[in-house]
Parts: sequence; structure tokens; C-alpha cells
Amino acid sequence: MSIETTSQQGDLQTREKAEVQREGTRPGPLFRPDVDIVERAEEFVVTADLPGVDQEHVDVRLENGVLSISGRLAVGLEPGWTPRYREYRTGGYQRQFSLSDGIDTEGIRASMRDGVLELRLPKSERQRRRRIDVSTA
Amino acid sequence: MSQSWYSSPSETSFDQLRRGLDELFERVGAGPSRRAGAFPPMNLFESEDGFVLTAELPGVKGDDIEIAVEGNRVTVRGERKIDHPSDASVHRLERQSGAFRRTLELPVEIDAEKAEAVHRHGVLMLRIPKAPEHQPRRINVQSS
Repeated sequence: MSIETTSQQGDLQTREKAEVQREGTRPGPLFRPDVDIVERAEEFVVTADLPGVDQEHVDVRLENGVLSISGRLAVGLEPGWTPRYREYRTGGYQRQFSLSDGIDTEGIRASMRDGVLELRLPKSERQRRRRIDVSTA
Repeated sequence: MSQSWYSSPSETSFDQLRRGLDELFERVGAGPSRRAGAFPPMNLFESEDGFVLTAELPGVKGDDIEIAVEGNRVTVRGERKIDHPSDASVHRLERQSGAFRRTLELPVEIDAEKAEAVHRHGVLMLRIPKAPEHQPRRINVQSS
């Protein structure tokens, strides 16, 4: 069976998922999600691509200053489907970040939409003050 | 670990990042050999009566995806928009945005009229039945 695909030059590209090696207890591969990190005056915003993951299957936890994002697929494949052509692999997601003490960990908020996790990490009072001091000096 | 498609942050913003968020080192299996391909990545399955095309489109709204089925060709097109607040300074941009358009040619005639698409949790799932003449025909065995 031959499957032909085409795409336009200059169009959006993607990259094969990076697999995270780890001695896990869960079966199946784990991938490292792509993230954006931006900083605003009051907060950091982390967005992570977790296609196939919904609110019930995402886990964000903070332990000893380490922020962990993990997710599992909400929908699986149906038996009786024979793979004919494959460009991507499916599995869970995992990525970790360490947080400085400049973040108000109590105020962290997470939301999921269309397979994208958005984390809002407010800066601590001390961190905000420091910033203001610098800008007025 | 080569990730050439990251925007390289300036030293200053890198220092800021270190104060805020620092990624923990992980062993990444795929290493530098992560292959690049067209967006969105697509998988195709065959079932008894048709095909199931799946595509990973995180952050793309269903309204921003256009699907056309013509003959035995399926085209998925749209735009992935990523809006960061204008007052934000960027530390890391791994997620890509822009227009996409992909065409997949199936080996048999399909029934375009009966194609159904669902976009959930950033995954598009398109079910396309084969044309009636390519579907298996059930023959009842009569018992005498």
C-alpha cells in the first residue's frame, strides 16, 4: 500500500518527538513536550504542547522546588485499526523544571485547552519589589 | 542535545530565566537525530470499512482547521496561532506557529460524503469510509 503526502515549502514544520528515557512503572514511551516560557512583570507563563491530553489526564506537581508536568492520553486507538502510515508516535509526556524562591508557589495556576497546558507562576512579593527597585535606580 | 530551533535567548534574559525557572537535565533518547517533518504530523489507520486519519494539532481550534476530501485525496489546512502577551519577554520558544497545509493520497477511492472529523484535546480524527465498491461484501451462507 502506498500513501503519498505532500506539503508546501515554507509551511509550518514539526519535529519528531523526543523520548524521555526513564525507568518508569508505566508502560509505553514518554515524550518531552515542547514548551514556551515567557516572563511578565508579575509572572512567568509556561505553555506546553500535550496533544491528546485533557484536564483529567494532566498532572502538575511541585516537590522540593521541582515543578513536574506529566500527562497521559485521554483517548486511545480502537482495536481493529491497522496502522498504514505513521509520522508520529503516541505516549505520555513528561518534563521538569526547578523553581527559584522568587516564585509564589501557592499562587501557581494551571489550565488545559485544545491539548495545551498553560501554567501561570506568579512572582513572589520580594521578587516584584526587587524588580521595581532596579527600574527606578 | 541539539535544539537548533529554539530561539537563542540573550545573556540577560538567560540570567533572568535562571532566577525563575531552570530546566532539569534529562536524558533525551532521540538525541540530535529528531527528524523534522511537515506540520501537523499525521498517522493513518485502515479499518474494515474505511480509513482513520489522526493529526496532532495542539492549540489549534477546530474552527481554524479546514478539511477537504476530493477523489482519494485528503487535504488538511489551517493556521496555528500563538499569541504571547506583548509585554512579555521571551525565555524559550519551542512551539511553532504559522500556516500549514498537507495533502494525503489514499490508495483507494473514498466516500467523501460520509467523512466525519472530530477535533478533541488537540488531536484531529478524521474517519473516511471507503467507496462502496471497495468495502468488503458480506455474503450470507444459507443453511439447507
